Amino acid sequence: MAFCTGCSLLCDDIVVDLDGGKIGKTMNLCRKGHAHYSSISSGRLTPSVDGSEVGVEDAMMAAAEVLAGADNPLLFGWGGSTLEAQRAGVDLAKKLGGAIDDPSSYSQGLITEKIIAGDLPTCTLDDVRNFADVSIYWGDDPSSSHPRHMSRFSYFPRGEKRQRGYEEDREAIVIDVRKSPTAQIAADGFFKITPGGDGAFIEALVASLAGKIPKVEDKKRMLNLGTKLRKAKFGAIFTGQGLAHSLRGDLSGFVSLVGKLSEITRFSVIPTLGDYNTRGFNQTLFDETGHVNSVTFKDGVRHGQEFSIARLLDSCDAVMVVGSDPAAALPAAIAKKLAKAVTVAIGSHRNMTTDFAKVSVPMAVAGIEAGGSCLRTDGVRVEFDGLVGSDHLSDVDIIKRIMEAV
Amino acid sequence: MAGGKELTVITFRGIFQEVEEARGMYSDGYRDQSAVVALDGGDMKEMGVEAGHPVHLETASGDVVVAAKLSEEAHPGVAFMPASPWSAQLLSGEVGEDGFLELKMFTVRASSGGGRVTSIEEIEAVIRAP
Repeated sequence: MAFCTGCSLLCDDIVVDLDGGKIGKTMNLCRKGHAHYSSISSGRLTPSVDGSEVGVEDAMMAAAEVLAGADNPLLFGWGGSTLEAQRAGVDLAKKLGGAIDDPSSYSQGLITEKIIAGDLPTCTLDDVRNFADVSIYWGDDPSSSHPRHMSRFSYFPRGEKRQRGYEEDREAIVIDVRKSPTAQIAADGFFKITPGGDGAFIEALVASLAGKIPKVEDKKRMLNLGTKLRKAKFGAIFTGQGLAHSLRGDLSGFVSLVGKLSEITRFSVIPTLGDYNTRGFNQTLFDETGHVNSVTFKDGVRHGQEFSIARLLDSCDAVMVVGSDPAAALPAAIAKKLAKAVTVAIGSHRNMTTDFAKVSVPMAVAGIEAGGSCLRTDGVRVEFDGLVGSDHLSDVDIIKRIMEAV
Repeated sequence: MAGGKELTVITFRGIFQEVEEARGMYSDGYRDQSAVVALDGGDMKEMGVEAGHPVHLETASGDVVVAAKLSEEAHPGVAFMPASPWSAQLLSGEVGEDGFLELKMFTVRASSGGGRVTSIEEIEAVIRAP
């Protein structure tokens, strides 16, 4: 069986026929995973410096030169990197006295940090498959972002204590601002909220759990939800960007809600993270510094919003982006700063960030062309081998080569 | 911002956009899945927009032209847009006092027309511009 690094579920049941050393017929890939596997044959990044194609060794040396000449470098990305590359990246940031950050600084970093720190209860997706009778998808649409989430783990499958699956044994509840594909599956379990209304929903749900009349339009339905959650034997809350952005960094109400649920029954939180190894980077940096993102190693270890990419592009003098495309995801005003910065981009495919970079270094696609290890979105460690040969170096080999030359 | 209809835009990720992104973000398929805005039927009528027609979206930070899509459900005053380089042109980029960078929700002025859908190359040119 092979793995799929198309998202952070890291599906481990992929059947791949190798045809003359190349990917042939595959089984069990979702639509997104199939596109991920197919992508190895198109749109690949080429090594370049100042827009001219060079050898990969020259590109790596140019990258090292950029970083060595910087007083305040920022190393960003990492969700699309193996644990080995992430570890090397943290070491490189320390060696340079630079900052290191990932997209979690503008998405679910705070939620992940509370889980890693033990401030929010969690469990594995395998626990969910075997035991969960209530799954809450909050600002989260895994049917779109993680297509096998519901079929492998959280809603449809039979599990050890859930032999009757979704027909009788499981309930899906979706809290979202729109009727997403996941909400359509949940049907009557969909609670539509107003944009930014997550905090008010939390308050109403806490009141309902306490047996008080919630301050919402449909009081009966909210009271019924409270009763349902009180009766759950094993509940799971899957968080998405919708929740993280609505709460704007203030998780106190959410933590309080989970705490109250945990006093009544077992409830766990698992973030639905985007890149295949976002959780790995957050864990790696947390183990080193006690923080999941936005850290600088200049003059010791410091953490704060001022070391996130959104703030640091104002003052850093070089950026290295690994396996990520912040130029496409961040507001144009911030992308403009990135486009003007001296940037090194390491990635498998061409994207907006590589288009703006002074130096581009192509890397192998982990899980298909290179082996390594990573953490699933629930923190479970996964190790995999490469399936096919590649002319590209692995991400960790590139980071280590650059580090040697700095 | 002046003229047009004020809408609250919420961004999201769709499976077909994810697939096209994996295939390559410089493709027509990625643009077709990303450069769209799902509108409430009543809002479309008020704006004189039909499905598939261009819609000009503008904020104080930038503007793009995307294709209109009719939502199956009613959500007057609210529009949904895939998170992409197109939606990113409309974001302020300002970090709030709470330290949070808003990426999911913003207000636009939306109006019918505006020419053809903005290409990703045009977005890159805007970002590169001094």
